[in-house]
Amino acid sequence: MDANQVLVEISTCFKEAMRNGIGAEGLSFPFDPEDIVDDGLKDICRRLSAVFDMINESYRYAELLARGDLKAQASRTNIFAMPLKGLQSSLAHLTWQANQVAAGDLSQQVHFLGEFSNSFNLMINSIREKKIIEQQFKLITEVLGEGVFLVDYSGKIIFSNPESNRLLGYSSSEIENVLIQEVIHKQQLDGTLYKPAENLLFDAISIGINYDDEGAFTCKSGFLMPVTIASRPVFKDEKLDGAVIAFRDITEQKKYEQSLETINKLLETQATTDALTGIYNRVKFDRTLITEISKAERYSSPLSVIIFDIDHFKRVNDTYGHSAGDNVLKRLAKLVGANIRETDVFARWGGEEFVIQVPGVSLAQTAIFADKLRSKIEEFDFSEPERITVSFGVAAFQHGDNGTTLINRADKALYRAKENGRNQVCHSE
Amino acid sequence: MGDVYNFNWTDLGDLAVGRPNLGEETSVIVYRLMQYTFKDVLSKEIGKQRAVELFVQAGLLAGKEFCNNVLDTSLSFNAFIADLKDKLVALKVGVLRVEEADMDQLKFVLTVAEDLDCSGLPIFGESVCDYDEGFIAGIFEQYTGKKFTVKEVDCWATGDRTCRFEVKPIEG
Repeated sequence: MDANQVLVEISTCFKEAMRNGIGAEGLSFPFDPEDIVDDGLKDICRRLSAVFDMINESYRYAELLARGDLKAQASRTNIFAMPLKGLQSSLAHLTWQANQVAAGDLSQQVHFLGEFSNSFNLMINSIREKKIIEQQFKLITEVLGEGVFLVDYSGKIIFSNPESNRLLGYSSSEIENVLIQEVIHKQQLDGTLYKPAENLLFDAISIGINYDDEGAFTCKSGFLMPVTIASRPVFKDEKLDGAVIAFRDITEQKKYEQSLETINKLLETQATTDALTGIYNRVKFDRTLITEISKAERYSSPLSVIIFDIDHFKRVNDTYGHSAGDNVLKRLAKLVGANIRETDVFARWGGEEFVIQVPGVSLAQTAIFADKLRSKIEEFDFSEPERITVSFGVAAFQHGDNGTTLINRADKALYRAKENGRNQVCHSE
Repeated sequence: MGDVYNFNWTDLGDLAVGRPNLGEETSVIVYRLMQYTFKDVLSKEIGKQRAVELFVQAGLLAGKEFCNNVLDTSLSFNAFIADLKDKLVALKVGVLRVEEADMDQLKFVLTVAEDLDCSGLPIFGESVCDYDEGFIAGIFEQYTGKKFTVKEVDCWATGDRTCRFEVKPIEG
């Protein structure tokens, strides 16, 4: 083989490769250099054969790298593979960087890898900024003074801030991953368990709406803490992802409200109750009488009033003293109170005078009822004195009556009962 | 100076005063000229193997001093590596990259691209970054308090395009 033949053979080989690609087989040096007779040409062919080998190796090496095999190797003397080795090194480093970022290491930057560096460093900077925002959010929840939960759409607690842990007595590890509706918000303020459709906070979480109300959260100790709750839905990619729930302990506020309620009830009782006998006073009687007259007027229903007065009460005071007189008033109030209906309104009118509203009962029936009361009083042992008697006046509502006209008619009837000899019932016409 | 010289970081001098016009930087050619002429003379005087050992030893001292005076050893490992990378780029020593890191066994594979010692060298068929081996070992030793062995497994001078170092602690 002379030099011209060698070149033709090699050219043919390249021509095929340039048309069909190198392929899996690789380039094949078209003859054995050792067959060349001329020593100078043999040396040249040996080097050309080595170049063929380098091309084949670097081609396979590039293929492996293209598939992501970062453990691929090429021989050190392969001059065609050298830039690929630089690429391999860069890819190996980027892989490590990506793993570092995934593990939370945001301190790294990528240097001198062109667009890779820019994109990677931008990504890391973006994650850093998000992390800063996350830290700021966490800081806000720490200093907020309100409990904060982050829950997913099933109610599972994903995050709890220190204040929520302090209020409820749970650590983050104890409370996270539990369902809020099964552990924290499962009871109403009175202790009863929510039925499935009654838990409005859970409904708001699961359908993604705002929720603001008072309720109760169950502490680790079992204590049912009254709280105000504000829940706002959180969306990710326009899909419901869960909710942020803020809550505040209102135990003290509730106590204050209860004490206010107690005081108001006490004041109301004092304003409407006779201090000696414990029954209603005239103020309460007048107020309820207005209501009953309105009903009677509107529905044409019967309404009667009874007014009664202890006979010769002055003698009781004079004979047994005022204390005994007070006891008589108290016992009389108790006795009458025990013999009227719940719908009747019984009050002390003043001194030894009492009144009863008897709604829904006619004049005649009320007079019979009054007489039964009179008998019971007459038979009752009042101790000091043993016996007292009482005179009754009864009147019934008439169209156009007001409280005064109705009471006045009953009072006139009482006056007649007194005039007729006491211990009897008289009623108006 | 006496019979023995003990290196001190301040011996590097005040370059702002000493080189007001030329500044802190010099040519890589000059750096390599010094390193390879040292290697030439020392290998002829004491043998190549011993010369290489001394280069590693000097690199170790340099790494420790560099760590002490330039780096922040109070940082976490990841932050320390990030700092080291930035400093090596800023000082134009090379582009350090981590390929593998086993924090449990303290084994690492590092690469240094555009390395000061070898990038652009002809293929010698053997690695030449002996000083770098010591330098990296010195930094890791100073940071962790443990002794390390560093072996350059790939080098520009062996046909690679980046220097690759295997770093692992010396057992016992």
